[in-house]
Amino acid sequence: MNKPLRNPEIVWRVEKRRQAEVLKALEAGQDVDDSGTVILLQSGMMHQLNLVGGLIWQQCDGEQTLAAIAGGLAKEFSVEQTDVESDVAEFVNDLTMRGWLING
Amino acid sequence: MADVTEIFSAPLTFNWTLSYRCNFVCEHCYSRDEECPELETQDIKRIVDVLVEQQVPFINFGGGEPLIRKDLYEVAEYATKRGLNVSMNTNGWLLDDAAAQRLKDAGFKSVGISIDSSEASLHDAFRNMPGSYEKAVRGLDALRKVGLKSTMSSVISRINYQAYRELLDLARKHGVDQLYLHNFKCSGRGLKNREELDLSPEEWQAFYIEALTVKRQTDDLKISFDDPVIASLPEYQEKTMVKGSSCGKLSLHLRPNGDITPCGFIPVVVGNILTEDFETIWFDSPVLKAMRAKEATGKCSGCSAFDDCQGGCTARAFATTGDFNQPDPHCWK
Repeated sequence: MNKPLRNPEIVWRVEKRRQAEVLKALEAGQDVDDSGTVILLQSGMMHQLNLVGGLIWQQCDGEQTLAAIAGGLAKEFSVEQTDVESDVAEFVNDLTMRGWLING
Repeated sequence: MADVTEIFSAPLTFNWTLSYRCNFVCEHCYSRDEECPELETQDIKRIVDVLVEQQVPFINFGGGEPLIRKDLYEVAEYATKRGLNVSMNTNGWLLDDAAAQRLKDAGFKSVGISIDSSEASLHDAFRNMPGSYEKAVRGLDALRKVGLKSTMSSVISRINYQAYRELLDLARKHGVDQLYLHNFKCSGRGLKNREELDLSPEEWQAFYIEALTVKRQTDDLKISFDDPVIASLPEYQEKTMVKGSSCGKLSLHLRPNGDITPCGFIPVVVGNILTEDFETIWFDSPVLKAMRAKEATGKCSGCSAFDDCQGGCTARAFATTGDFNQPDPHCWK
């Protein structure tokens, strides 16, 4: 998938207060992998994405390539783009298999 | 989930009563005797703006009869254009082909029509309105014609609990996407007419055991229940976003003047969306906090089901005892 796009059938929102708390915890060196910051609603079911997943999700607007998304994420967390490219690809692939992302 | 506000910065749904005015006088209605000043269109749009700002994704207009408000279409179109997912529930009396088209054009995602029996005479008697069954069914067909998703709402009571399968057939026949088998609420006229209409706890238990089986066996029609007391049944296996009543957790209710209540059936105002800070209401209201952290009292104390059902329907407990923490009077345990 070159330019992933969020499935328009999915209703979602960034839980801003939650996200701010998670960012604070991250800065304090805590493990935040299991802390949801973005909720997705589909067919009466709710799913949560953690901070990194939520940031990727927000970039999946059908305009940005995987490389651009990985680049943005690398900048956000001050790491090399090559360090996150495979994780981004794996995450996008997972969400595509679930039908939450489509090819933009 | 310990407290929904740890995750949710706002409810997912606002059930919104634009007006308590109605052209029907239904036997079970929670709101028929309510009186409340209504807002002007521009103030209603201001509320939409607040909901958008708070990222509330869904609004559902109820009432009262929403189609009585002449500006319903204008408000819905405004909300839709601002990104909200808009739906409504109606008795169907005013829902002809032209109205269905206007609802579709206004951006409604779905429209629900109340039908309580597949027998016209029973429905008309329950709704105290001759001809209402025919118009409700016509409404379903009008929605289908314009390609707008329809749902059907049936309040389970003594008039229909043994014949609910016919409601499924009726829904199928008229292209309904989802059938809601609502639990009877003893609020308003529902409380006044409770003896005549409500089932005994044992009858509720038997109804739900059978209806859950029917739901499992049905794949051509979505069937939904909204009764937290059902969670105490071993047959109930659904994963829900929250335990117990969703009121005050996933949803809130707006009265016609902008006052917020936990749900339409709990007439306790926790603030006003136009004059008070919404986040303060959502995070700090003592009433909402109490509803989100119910304490097992009476027969709920020590009951193994409490973790799942949280005492059942908070509105019913409150209507009959004045205490959120009392057991749901429908509970059979």
